[in-house]
Amino acid sequence: MKNKLLISLLVLVTTRLFAQQIPVIIQDGMFHLGNGRVMENGFLVMLEGKIAFIGKELPAFYKNAKVIDAKGKHIYPGFICMNTYVGLNEIDAVRATRDYQEVGLFNPNARALIAYNTDSKIIPTVRYNGITHVQAVPQGGVISGSSSVMKTTGWNWEDAAVLADEGIHLNWPEHYIQTGWWAEPGEVQKNKTREQVDAIADFFRESKRYASVRNPEKANLRYEAMKGVFNGNKNVYVHINSAKGILSAIQFFKYYPEIKWVLVGASDAWKVADLIKENNIPVVLSQLHRLPNANAEDIDMPFKLPYLLMQKGIQVAIGHSGSWESRNVMFNAGTAAANGLGKEQALMCITSIPAQIMGLKDVGTLEQGKQASVIISEGDALDMRTNKMAWMFINGEEVDNKNQQVELYEKYMNKYGLKP
Amino acid sequence: MKKFVFLLFSFVYLHTNAQETFPVNGPYNSQMQFDAFVNATIQVDEQTKVSNATLIIKNGKIEKVGINLIPPAGANIHDMKGRYIYPAFVELCSGSVTTPKNQHTNKADLPFLSSKLGAYYWNEAIKPEVHAVNYFTSDEKHSAYLRACGFGSVLAHVDDGIYRGTAVLATTGNAANEHELIIKEKAASVLSFKKGNSSQDYPSSMMGTVALLRQTYYDARWYGNQTTEKNLSLQAFNEQQALPQIFIANHKLNVFRADKIADEFNINYIIKGAGDEYQRISEIKATKAPLIVPVNFPKPYEVSDPYDADFISLGDLKHWEMAPSNLSALYAAQIECAITADGCKDAATFLKNLRKAYKNGATSQQLLRSLTTIPARLIKMDQQLGAIKPGMMANLIITNGDLFNEETQILSVWTKGVKHTVENLSETKLAGTYQIQMGNNETLQLKAKTKDGKQVYQIISGNDTMQAQVQLAQLVSITYPVSKSNSFTQQLTAYVLKLDSSNYPYTIQSLQGEVVLQNGSRVACNIKLVAPYVDEKVLPVEKKNQGTGKVLYPFTEYGYEDLKVAETVLFKNATVWTNEKEGIMSEADVAIKEGKIIAVGKNITLPGAKIIDATGKHLTTGIIDEHSHIAITQGVNEGTQAITSEVRIGDAVNSEDINIYRQLAGGVVAAQLLHGSANPIGGQSALIKLRWGLPPEQMKIEGADGFIKFALGENVKQSNWGDRATIRYPQTRMGVEQMMMDGFTRARQYELELKRNPNIRKDLELEALLEILQSKRFISCHSYVQSEINMLMHLADSFGFRVNTFTHILEGYKIADKMKKHGVYASTFADWWAYKYEVIDAIPFNAAILNKVGVLTAVNSDDAEMGRRLNQEAAKIVKYGGLSEEEAWKMVSLNPAKMLHLDTRMGSVKVGKDADIVLWNNHPLSIYAQPEYTYVDGRCLYSKEQDVLLRASIQKERMRIIAAMQAAKASGEKAEQHVSETDPNYHCED
Repeated sequence: MKNKLLISLLVLVTTRLFAQQIPVIIQDGMFHLGNGRVMENGFLVMLEGKIAFIGKELPAFYKNAKVIDAKGKHIYPGFICMNTYVGLNEIDAVRATRDYQEVGLFNPNARALIAYNTDSKIIPTVRYNGITHVQAVPQGGVISGSSSVMKTTGWNWEDAAVLADEGIHLNWPEHYIQTGWWAEPGEVQKNKTREQVDAIADFFRESKRYASVRNPEKANLRYEAMKGVFNGNKNVYVHINSAKGILSAIQFFKYYPEIKWVLVGASDAWKVADLIKENNIPVVLSQLHRLPNANAEDIDMPFKLPYLLMQKGIQVAIGHSGSWESRNVMFNAGTAAANGLGKEQALMCITSIPAQIMGLKDVGTLEQGKQASVIISEGDALDMRTNKMAWMFINGEEVDNKNQQVELYEKYMNKYGLKP
Repeated sequence: MKKFVFLLFSFVYLHTNAQETFPVNGPYNSQMQFDAFVNATIQVDEQTKVSNATLIIKNGKIEKVGINLIPPAGANIHDMKGRYIYPAFVELCSGSVTTPKNQHTNKADLPFLSSKLGAYYWNEAIKPEVHAVNYFTSDEKHSAYLRACGFGSVLAHVDDGIYRGTAVLATTGNAANEHELIIKEKAASVLSFKKGNSSQDYPSSMMGTVALLRQTYYDARWYGNQTTEKNLSLQAFNEQQALPQIFIANHKLNVFRADKIADEFNINYIIKGAGDEYQRISEIKATKAPLIVPVNFPKPYEVSDPYDADFISLGDLKHWEMAPSNLSALYAAQIECAITADGCKDAATFLKNLRKAYKNGATSQQLLRSLTTIPARLIKMDQQLGAIKPGMMANLIITNGDLFNEETQILSVWTKGVKHTVENLSETKLAGTYQIQMGNNETLQLKAKTKDGKQVYQIISGNDTMQAQVQLAQLVSITYPVSKSNSFTQQLTAYVLKLDSSNYPYTIQSLQGEVVLQNGSRVACNIKLVAPYVDEKVLPVEKKNQGTGKVLYPFTEYGYEDLKVAETVLFKNATVWTNEKEGIMSEADVAIKEGKIIAVGKNITLPGAKIIDATGKHLTTGIIDEHSHIAITQGVNEGTQAITSEVRIGDAVNSEDINIYRQLAGGVVAAQLLHGSANPIGGQSALIKLRWGLPPEQMKIEGADGFIKFALGENVKQSNWGDRATIRYPQTRMGVEQMMMDGFTRARQYELELKRNPNIRKDLELEALLEILQSKRFISCHSYVQSEINMLMHLADSFGFRVNTFTHILEGYKIADKMKKHGVYASTFADWWAYKYEVIDAIPFNAAILNKVGVLTAVNSDDAEMGRRLNQEAAKIVKYGGLSEEEAWKMVSLNPAKMLHLDTRMGSVKVGKDADIVLWNNHPLSIYAQPEYTYVDGRCLYSKEQDVLLRASIQKERMRIIAAMQAAKASGEKAEQHVSETDPNYHCED
């Protein structure tokens, strides 16, 4: 039992206790494959939690199959929202419900999945709009902790975890912070940045030294948690927005070619896009519905940033900071679609690209053999005007897409004698 | 020659003047002050310059000035050949008097009570009882700085508080005691928008500051007509209203704020600005207020790192270039202004910047007027200060040339007839090439020139050129090496034979002396100027054009070079969302003219109109945001008291907030700017149209009804402010009800008292509450949970008025039937929740339920970013709750217009309504929709094509100025680090 637990924590969870048995066939509709392509009016078969078939002609007869007529509807791979703390908090202002920030500066050993509350009232509202997976990310400090990819269903965190401890989150110091407090930039501020980078360098050096020893004389949980960083099992997510900060992070990781690292936030990425491309760094944009960084910036810079970066050949995922707010991540993708990217490319930013970045091999696209995380929307799911989930499947299991908010809606419509 | 020697001695002569009443240690050393300046160029006032003139001063006053005056016997005669005499400048703003350590004691730890002991005003920031003269002490360091700038007198005040009391006028003299310095004890009163050292919380915002000041004026009026209360502050206030009132505004928009108070109370403020007046020159002129303007032009910014340079705003970059032409813009607009040295860190900077202003188009006459007669007149001292005329105070500047010539130095400043040396220049100078003919038939050459403000001397002996040292004292001594190979230094000492006195210091023409040779022998020598010095610099002052950049309206990124005018436009073939019974019309035309919609229908023609092909596009009325906090400066909350109905967002509108433009780009045309939600009864709203380019007052919607913010729940009971915020009443929803009940009860009593006696003290807080009771002002109440919503409706019912709007109202759906019955409107978020405990039951279906029950419902932003995507938030109401698209669209247009009582002129596409039109490239509720044009009152304030041009011009202008800054830095100017302030983004929660 203990062994099994360890395995499920450290490696990709591939077996499930209650896998789906009856085949489900989705037919007709517009299939958005999540890899940039679409298929109009075909078939998608889900069997035993996997996509058994997708294509124009149904090759085999599936016994007892449940058939979903999706005519006029849109079918997508389930949306993946990176860089959230969904499940790690309930009410922002209530301290007792906040479980995303540990004490201290270097906490790679703090593991998000432990705090992931599958009974959170927020999770079903996030799922409601088509999100099947979230990256639950600890916050604060210099290294906030380790993130995990979690399903938006599950009886407990163990059950919900899809990819445990897949990366550590490093908050890179900003060179400038635009606040009144720092109205007068000067030496103090720059020294601080350098001190912080020095501290990060020390921590990485020590962690690497620790990792190089098979049985260290003195165990250290922090360094232990960093081991995966140096053998390629864990990503390093570097949270930084300013152009200068991005450059200094690039310089830092030149010393660690073995580390797979990802830029998160990166709202200034357009200024240094060529260098990001040259160094092949994936980017997770954290929120598109935000104001530009400076008055002189193009007013739609946040909206068109995915387009500007992808045009350069950079891998871009669109995530969403916060918890309840992440239910709008698909509309962020819609905004990217409307601002140069186009719908299918924008879809990739919340499906296949996040999966690739995090190393989720079998989700993110509607392709044969992949996990059957499939959503069916009445209309274009990237547009709030038409986003409405008709059916959702996670690992082939149909999801009852109710939540507290829907229940309250129905309850009060009834109170007023109105039809929900 | 004799004259020359005498002159040298006169510099050593010391003026000392003891006080009449003071005892003296030893024999009295009485001196007669009696001086005559002859052969001077005298600038009598800014208009009149007299050459070869004589000035006679006696006992601190000017006796006579003119040509052909014979210097009277007994006077010290000063030969002023080559020198200029100006009236000393008058400084109104850079003097500061420090009070002794404040002797307040805390009566209570409640930060809303005054800690000041005594019968003073309730608020510590109002301190008219402070008279600077009582604390005035001679500050020689500051006086010396002012003298070096040319100031002979200074108005000094205690630099603390909103109403700061009286200022003392003193000379800038260096006296052993203060008795001689003071010219006038109470020469003016000084006001500011800064609270200063007050220990009280109130006011914490700009709008609170304005409210406090207004209430003070009303209190003072009342005080004058009553006998029951003694209040030393109000008494002092009333006593000084006849004095000139100087308002330190320090920002162009603050000038308007001060002026508005001036208009309300019929005061003529003299307003101290920031030197940015050129950015809104016509409105500045319209205030008719005289100004005090600094010349503290910014240094070039450090821009060598392009990423750092991104933190400098376009406005700041442009200001660097344009600030030196501010004065010439003020003069061109015929605005009366005085110049202050305030903000110039040293005298060299002040003089350099004055000359920069001169180069940038201001004339010497204008500048001198601003430094002398205008400031003197503004404080009613023009009979004594600001000119060189008989009877006036002998405050003088003596220079060695025209003041606006960069080479000119201020030699001395005289105050009350007493000399204070500024630049201790030698009377004479060596300039040019001199031949030294020695008795042993040796001949040398001495070259003397000025380099970077320093004298450089060279000796040429044969083929060798060597450095020489020269000392100019009573005698001239020159030391120099014999030759390059012989390092022995010879010394030559000589006396002056002949001077050229056309310029000061006088150039030595010939000398006679002796040289000590290496062998110890001495030979006589004669030295003669053989070639006069030619200045390598161009002497005549070069006037340059005003900065090549243009003023932007507003003066920030995306500002326009010209104010937009209402266009005549015909939109053809649009899908028109009328919000009227016509519904959504396809292939319809809409015509606008003179700011109004003049036709809606099919096949409209309008000769002379600009035609916009709207085929395949959607035309709507502009979005109205019922709940916005953009365009507000210096505080969205005056949360320091539980009730602050006296404060007005209208006093703090910031017409330059970039978010105005960004929201135009999202189709927003109007917004209610609301006070925050920190207290149960907040401040009065400002209803504005997003008239990008116009100043604050012109953004306000003319004739709009008055609104006010109320708030309930966690914010007003300070639930999430930390564990220390447990003192202010209320801390519970019970207390919130009682605060409101109490406010309205007091307002009712106030109403009764007013009826009995219209002359009772005007109370701005109660006036606003009374307006609510009389249905002249309308509540928009921040609210979340059903219990508190229910409470306020009951409270309103019991006082006989209707709550206008519940804003946020996230649990409105639970109580929609009661809301409908009360007749209140709902303005909500589409899908916000879970950010605090009281929104745990918030649902995105709220708006749909409320609407279906029959409550007029709107969707608002409360957020600068969401404000630019309100159409998408409206679309969510279709998604959550299945409202029709037309109904959903009304939630961000017609419905908020109704809530704000603006629907007679806004909110639908209807003939006669305001031409607030948005043309969308797609279905307006779609995430793919973007405005192509946004018209406000028929003015095209955003369009995609304009936006493209603006982006390009922002970058081009930035790069142009950055290049100019780099060049300035390369030419030796010191660059400084700079990060521009950003517009704050307020939310209710702030």
